[in-house]
Amino acid sequence: MIALSTTSTRSPLRAPAPTRERPQRRRGWRSDEGFVRLLGALAFVFVLVLPFINASPYVISIMTSALIYVMLALGLNVVVGYAGLLDLGYIAFFAVGAYTSGILTTHFGWPMLFAVPGVIVACIVAGIIIGGPTLRLRSDYLAIVTLGFGEIIRLTANNLEITGGPSGIHGIPSWSFFGWDFADGVTVGGIFFNGKIVFYYFVALIVGAVGVVVVSRLARGKMGRAWKAVRDDEDAAEAMGINTYVTKITAYIIGAVWAGLAGQLMGTHLTAISPNSFQFLYSALILMAVVLGGMGSTPGVIIGALFVSLAPEFLREFSEWRFLLFGVLLVVTMIFRPSGIWPATAVLPWSKDKHVDDDDTDNDQDPRVVSREGFEKDAGAEGAADLLSGREGKGR
Amino acid sequence: MSQIILNGLFVGSFYALIALGYSMVYGIIKLLNFAHGDVYMIGAFVGFVTLTSFGGLTAAATVPTLILLILVAMIFTGLLGVGIERVAYRPLRTSPRLAVLITAVGMSFTLEYAVRQIFGPSPKAYPVRLSGGSLDLFGARVSTAQLALMGVAALLMVVLAFYVNKTREGRAMRAIALDPQASTLMGINVNGVIARVFFIGSALAGAAGVMAGAYYGSIDFLMGFVIGLKAFTAAVIGGIGNLYGAMLGGLTLGLLESFGSAWLGGEWRDVFSFACLILFLSFKPTGLLGARVVERM
Amino acid sequence: MTSIRSTRGWQRARFAAVSAAVATVLAGCAGGVGGSGDDASGDTLKFGLLAPFSGSESAFGEYMKNGAQMAVDEINADGGIDGKEIELVTEDDACDATTAVSAANKLVSQGIVASVGGYCSGATLPTLPIFLQAEVPMVIPAANSNALPESDQENVFLINGTGTQQAEAAVKFAQKEGATKVAVIDDSTDYSVDLADSFAEQASEAGLEIVEDATVTPKEKDYAAEANKIVGSGADFVYWTGYYQEGALINRQAKDAGYEGTFLVGDGSVDASFAEITGEGYTENVYGTFTQTPDMLEGAGDWIAEYKEKFGAEPGPYSTQSYDAVRVAAEAIKEAGTTDMAEVVDALHGLDGFETFAGPLTFTDQGTREQGGFAIVTIGDDGTFVLHDDLLDD
Repeated sequence: MIALSTTSTRSPLRAPAPTRERPQRRRGWRSDEGFVRLLGALAFVFVLVLPFINASPYVISIMTSALIYVMLALGLNVVVGYAGLLDLGYIAFFAVGAYTSGILTTHFGWPMLFAVPGVIVACIVAGIIIGGPTLRLRSDYLAIVTLGFGEIIRLTANNLEITGGPSGIHGIPSWSFFGWDFADGVTVGGIFFNGKIVFYYFVALIVGAVGVVVVSRLARGKMGRAWKAVRDDEDAAEAMGINTYVTKITAYIIGAVWAGLAGQLMGTHLTAISPNSFQFLYSALILMAVVLGGMGSTPGVIIGALFVSLAPEFLREFSEWRFLLFGVLLVVTMIFRPSGIWPATAVLPWSKDKHVDDDDTDNDQDPRVVSREGFEKDAGAEGAADLLSGREGKGR
Repeated sequence: MSQIILNGLFVGSFYALIALGYSMVYGIIKLLNFAHGDVYMIGAFVGFVTLTSFGGLTAAATVPTLILLILVAMIFTGLLGVGIERVAYRPLRTSPRLAVLITAVGMSFTLEYAVRQIFGPSPKAYPVRLSGGSLDLFGARVSTAQLALMGVAALLMVVLAFYVNKTREGRAMRAIALDPQASTLMGINVNGVIARVFFIGSALAGAAGVMAGAYYGSIDFLMGFVIGLKAFTAAVIGGIGNLYGAMLGGLTLGLLESFGSAWLGGEWRDVFSFACLILFLSFKPTGLLGARVVERM
Repeated sequence: MTSIRSTRGWQRARFAAVSAAVATVLAGCAGGVGGSGDDASGDTLKFGLLAPFSGSESAFGEYMKNGAQMAVDEINADGGIDGKEIELVTEDDACDATTAVSAANKLVSQGIVASVGGYCSGATLPTLPIFLQAEVPMVIPAANSNALPESDQENVFLINGTGTQQAEAAVKFAQKEGATKVAVIDDSTDYSVDLADSFAEQASEAGLEIVEDATVTPKEKDYAAEANKIVGSGADFVYWTGYYQEGALINRQAKDAGYEGTFLVGDGSVDASFAEITGEGYTENVYGTFTQTPDMLEGAGDWIAEYKEKFGAEPGPYSTQSYDAVRVAAEAIKEAGTTDMAEVVDALHGLDGFETFAGPLTFTDQGTREQGGFAIVTIGDDGTFVLHDDLLDD
């Protein structure tokens, strides 16, 4: 490769020159990337200043839960959105994480920090047990096996002594680092932040830094491209030399670990966990967040998770009807807009009519024509053609 | 011992009836119809509504009433199944598998929570009850109601087997299961046959719903969820897509469960059957009869 | 590349500046971390009620809310507490820990002075520290897991008798019936397991033989396996500690399998639907342990009539307990003359023989009732449970 690229100017293998100059990529906040970054920054600022606007325990509590939901949805997005594996028992890994950390900290008195490796190991083991045999089969088997697995975990937690039986585990401690505990709170610049707010920032930090950044990086890397290849056409991916089994199980385990860590955070947040919180309904809610938001699309999934977790808080009547509504929405979304609210291939409205650079005055008369050509040539912007036809998207 | 076997066979016949619908649909369009368990629930509710709105039926003799109820529920759920296929699955026939699976999950939610909004969350008592004496059979105690229900289930399965194997329509189904494109070329109305498969599968589930309501006496909007999962497990054990496999798998799962809960305790029953599912998928994903591909439909 | 990098750097600087500015402006707002926080002043005293209004247990939420509302209206009609009216604030806990925590926080943010809710123990346990931190006394009407008093929180009081007390009544009844071999079955929910364990323990102390101690999976239909175990074990007395949906099915299937002894059910199964689901001809020998309900008490007809008139429905399980919880909490606040938690807690401990539906109420040091007030009920001609034996004669 190196030799080829250094001599590329004279090589007979040179790529053909484009027949038409590519339009300049848009810069600044109006560009696709820039706009997402701008939104991200605004969200970040909002999360940061929220406790300054309203620090009531209620707001902090629902926002912490919402952030944990975002984390879960991002994890499920790896499994469903990137790798195309339908996991209907995702909440089970959440439960494995919550219970592992709960047992380690309450029964064995470990500090929360030391429970992290325990949670990771437990989730990897659970992921291998479930994913190992079933990922070799067709993807629909996986869906039903994960559904069964979710029930197994919930029932087992309900029946065992060490998991506290039906009343679950309570009195789960907070995180502490080197003798300083979250529950103590912290005083910065004369303002006292209580334990709940500190924990809220901690969750925000994990979700923001590790969740959003790492997951979207992963998706763009070699692994992520392999996932998408497997999702789009398993046979073709196999033919291209991708070990589809390893690829799928990696995605599955990353998702599992992710959910486990979210479970650990949730356990700390609630200080108590019980089997009732890990019903199939909640798996379906997370799936709903991912599907509605847009499979494979980080901003979409975040919006979906926020909607799913916060909507019942704001609309009381809605909480009665939400499952029916979610059911209908799932069907309608899949039929009419399978790529979700914010598709992974989203192109901003103003970017659709891309102007070519000003010096190319000939085409200024009809920017639409140019824009189409620009799209088609810009093969890197995956699925641009999808957007034009308006129906296709991720998850195929 | 014989009591355990008998109980297992009784529960297994319910599983088998529902598993048939799963298996037929899967066999023909390779779709996991998650909403199938909920069709069973709807069947029970159709019977309930019919009974409560025609009070005279409750007073009438039990067995003819029950048969009438089963017929009403079968027609309703059959049409419902066709409707579901038309609205939710047909538009996605050419879509990727994931999209259809998600639609099926959404359909299942829609049915469950629509019923919940209409009838409320608490269980409803069934107005007609099957009761009668019980008799000894090989040292096991079995009620005449149980025998009657097992008889109905067996009859439905025999009729289905005859229909699929001996009639022209049945041959069309088997042809589509083998190769949909070639069947279209041969002049088979593929959409029509698929609709028919949905009708039959859903009608069987609806019949099972009424039978469960009349025997156990309480119905609720989530009753289809677990049994749907179990029926799928049964279909996998028998070999999904295979007609006789679904029947055999239902009975096998019923027996496995019966023994499982006798040995491990009732609280582990569901864990045990889902563990069986995972084990079967790991070691024999084709199921007991899955190898007989020719028989698939 | 360099140009892009510099753009990014510039953007970062701009966002940092903007965010800093926004933060400074907002830091002054009241209600934020730097602000004064919430306070509970006002003309009304808010009582918070957490109960399931959605999910599988949602029927109970309505019963509880209506019962509590009855008491609130009654007290307000009498001039409230020292001239202040009570306002009932309800939130949905969906019988789920996550929802319950956010709902409890929501109640606390609204400035409640007492919590009079709590149905599912699993959803009530995680709310304990929240109410303690907010210094809100809790009078819990329904949830009665032993884990609640064992949490050692001074602000927790239970209106409902605990499993230990109910089991006591059940054992007493078993002895009265002359049972020797008893079976106990639970449905693996919190309350049920608790009760079953207490029963098993007390029954063996009382010299009864436990021949079967089983757990079933709730929400299923076929319990033939358990029915056979009951018959096979030769038990002459069965105690079912779960809810009526499964209890009624087990009763029927056990009798189909040939069981002929007594079938005693816990208070979760004492519901008119039990007879409906179990079916005609199967209600013989069915008894329940229950705190007395209005329809069993003499002179409570007015209460039921008023309830029906107000809400257009019959009172259900835990309506009376919620009614009592509100009255108990109001009485304690009145006695204390303040809403300060420590003093209200003292006043609650000071209650002596406060009249409730379940008999006179005095709290133990742990915050449970001194007398459980459990009686034995049986299924009457119309399918509802009626008083059979108040167990007070010995």
